Amino acid sequence: MTEPVPNAVELRAVSKVYGASTAVREVSMDIARGAFVTILGPSGCGKSTLLRMISGFVSPSSGDVLIDGVSVLGAAPYERDTAMVFQDYALFPHRTVAQNLAFGLRMRKVAKDEIARRVEAMLELVNLKGFGDRRVSQMSGGQAQRVALGRALIVRPAVLLLDEPLGALDLKLRKQMQAELKTIHRDLGLTFVAVTHDQEEALTLSDRIAVMNGGALEQFDTPENLYRRPATRFVADFVGNANLFDARLGSDGRVEAQGLPLTLFLNPVQRGGRQSGAAIALVVRPETIAVGATAPESHDGRVEAQVEEIMFSGAVQQIVGRLPDGRRITAHQSAALPAPERGTTAVFSWPSQSVWLVDA
Amino acid sequence: MSAARDIARRRSRLRAALPAAGLLPLVLWQIVFFVVPVALILGLSVWRSQSYRLIPAFTFDNYIAIFARPAIWRALLLSVETAAFVTVACAVLAYPVAYFIAKKAGRWRGLLLVAVIAPFWISIVMRVAAWRLLLGERGVINQMAIALGLTEAPMSFLLYSPVSTAIGLIYAYLPLYVLPLYAAISNIHDNWIDAAMDLNASPTRTFFEVILPLSAPGLVVGAVFCFVFGLGEFVTPALLGGGKQLMFSQVIQDEFQRRLDWPSGAAMAVVLLVLVFASLALSMKWIRRASGETGL
Amino acid sequence: MSRLSLGWTLPAYSVLLYAFLYLPIAVIVLFAFDAKAIPGLPIDTFTTDWFAVSLADTRLVGSLFTSIRLALLAAVLSTALAMPAAMVLAWRPVRMKSLVLCLVLGPVVLPQLVLGLGLIVLFRAAPDLIGSPAIVLAHTTMTSSYATLMLYSRFLGFRRSYIEAAMNLGADEFVTFREVVLPLVAPSLIAVLLLAFTDAFGEFVVAWFLAGFTETLPIAIWTSLRQVISPKIYALSALVILVTLFVSVSAQIWILGQSRRECES
Repeated sequence: MTEPVPNAVELRAVSKVYGASTAVREVSMDIARGAFVTILGPSGCGKSTLLRMISGFVSPSSGDVLIDGVSVLGAAPYERDTAMVFQDYALFPHRTVAQNLAFGLRMRKVAKDEIARRVEAMLELVNLKGFGDRRVSQMSGGQAQRVALGRALIVRPAVLLLDEPLGALDLKLRKQMQAELKTIHRDLGLTFVAVTHDQEEALTLSDRIAVMNGGALEQFDTPENLYRRPATRFVADFVGNANLFDARLGSDGRVEAQGLPLTLFLNPVQRGGRQSGAAIALVVRPETIAVGATAPESHDGRVEAQVEEIMFSGAVQQIVGRLPDGRRITAHQSAALPAPERGTTAVFSWPSQSVWLVDA
Repeated sequence: MSAARDIARRRSRLRAALPAAGLLPLVLWQIVFFVVPVALILGLSVWRSQSYRLIPAFTFDNYIAIFARPAIWRALLLSVETAAFVTVACAVLAYPVAYFIAKKAGRWRGLLLVAVIAPFWISIVMRVAAWRLLLGERGVINQMAIALGLTEAPMSFLLYSPVSTAIGLIYAYLPLYVLPLYAAISNIHDNWIDAAMDLNASPTRTFFEVILPLSAPGLVVGAVFCFVFGLGEFVTPALLGGGKQLMFSQVIQDEFQRRLDWPSGAAMAVVLLVLVFASLALSMKWIRRASGETGL
Repeated sequence: MSRLSLGWTLPAYSVLLYAFLYLPIAVIVLFAFDAKAIPGLPIDTFTTDWFAVSLADTRLVGSLFTSIRLALLAAVLSTALAMPAAMVLAWRPVRMKSLVLCLVLGPVVLPQLVLGLGLIVLFRAAPDLIGSPAIVLAHTTMTSSYATLMLYSRFLGFRRSYIEAAMNLGADEFVTFREVVLPLVAPSLIAVLLLAFTDAFGEFVVAWFLAGFTETLPIAIWTSLRQVISPKIYALSALVILVTLFVSVSAQIWILGQSRRECES
């Protein structure tokens, strides 16, 4: 038997209380070595606090933080094997690009010639060859981002922490940096933990995503599971778009949606061991919904709605229907398909196996 | 493992002590050289003195005695009047310049601001010496006036009078008033002024309804400093005011150093302190309200 | 630019006010060159003799050097006291912060006369300190308030993430201070040192109370102002004033440039 490899980071029921408010509530999470984990949530959900507890800038009120299997409670930031890419980059303005990169190595008392070698290699890795002697104030946003990334990577930390790393970049540059970040992560095999409020970024970048809300961890799962099998109503609503319909689970695998003429037959996986009579919410993703005069044979979930709005956005058109009871339903369908007339009544339909349930 | 934990714990205790270590020297220093001296003055004011000897006591006789002296009242009144006049004069004189620097000076604003404050750093004694050259009977101003035929005989009221004290004080505190005014006025967005004018307010109404209320915090802060410093100022009246009409600070110094009646001088100093802190407390309310109104 | 315009009146008024501010300085410099023994208008002959006379006056020059020495000490001491305190006040949660601030900033609003008299009483307990040591202690008390205030606002504007970045990369508190904080606040620190020096150099009242037989330059000038003033006083004052203006202006421009750079980055 070989010794099991410890997780890069383990959070054990960590909480952070500031006076009367709880920023983080009993969060437990195991982050495996080499993983790319993103902590996702709306602003104020405690995600940054969580990151700062790993890096050591904030000490938890209770619970334990382990890095490489060892508790780091009481250890200062400089005693932990973490490196952080700051939201504002925090590049030292009185140092050149190369000096910024070398900082962490100098602190670790690495030999001079090795520092020079590794700085040169890092400049190459982050596509800044020849920029070593520049002042950081001369760097553009994207370049500064790379310097910040390189400065943290160069110390080969057990965990690389990224605090909204791409938040300050414009859309195009952000896309490009996402790709580069992913490549670097794969090439170096380090553990990355990022914080973001941008769900698309989280979905693209990470192996696993931790969704936080109000200081609590809602779900920690792969992007696909998060989207297809959300654990809570919040996750279903926050990650991607979703139509949520309150409903009650029937006795024979049927669903009675309140006020909707719906009869769906769900399989046991979808039911998730819930008792009949349980209050639930149906999660229907817009892209699973077809809109037309009639419903396809295989679509057993169907409602009639008045077409209220059609919004065209390139490849996809978004169709908003108004149900008889006033609620709205949104469908995304290919812009290649014919769109219904605004104001007419159409059938919105979906197959029941594409539905997911969350507790109401 | 446990040894490493021990070291970590000791280090974290050291870290926790850092803030206290940073603050402590200054706090201790200020206690010894600021709080204690003020406390000594307070304590001394209720002591007695008998033929230049200090006798511990707890009596308010010193206070009763000083307020029985008409000269004290005169000096106190003169000090308050002078400080009030200087404050108003500084406000009126400083406002246009502060406005000019904040709104009209463009890229020169930094330099102009520094140029306003620079004379403030020159030793007060030298500044006062310069005013003696200007205001004396044979001083620059009188000689110019005579040369221009504005007056026959030199104007003797210019020096060694409350007038010269006031001029000296205005000169000394003008820079102090420009600073907070500048800060307040540069916080007024040009858009607000434009909006008022756009809504058909005349320039005068715009000034009184928008600009002036929004500069209130600066006006109040400047006024407080001018008034408080003016009340306690010693060098300027001592060198420019002459010996006939004494200001309160001169009387205090006289009591301490010439008449050597420390308890009585201490009681006067306490009166000055009470005045100073009363005006500060009063203005705090104003400052809070003024800055609350602007929503800044 | 706003449309509220007063045409030429505002600039013209400003010129007048600047003239008022610099008139006394100009007069002192002017009379430093007046050949007459009792300076006054009109000036018929200009001379630079008075500068030589003043610099040959050992007592006057002695007081100048005393002032420089004492002010240097007070500036260094007050900056050393102010810097760590300002850092803690700006960066750490401090219990009873407003009380601490009152304590630290009290000497700013306290009339110098009262502080001076209080210190006279205090130093009765240690009469040996009267003279240079007492002056340095008193000036340090006064200038450390200003120094703390100025450095406090500098540290408030300091980006916390620089410190966190350094610590995150393995620098402990002391290394972070040496490698990141100190180099970045050095210009402000020098400016504060210069301003504290200027303030202590020119202070009169408190120094006069505590001087004993020590004579600083302001005290020497004060003494001479009570007699007929020799033009050599004006010559020396002119020199000192020009140096003071240069030092304070450059210190302030330094601070100004610093805050501007901070805004841009």
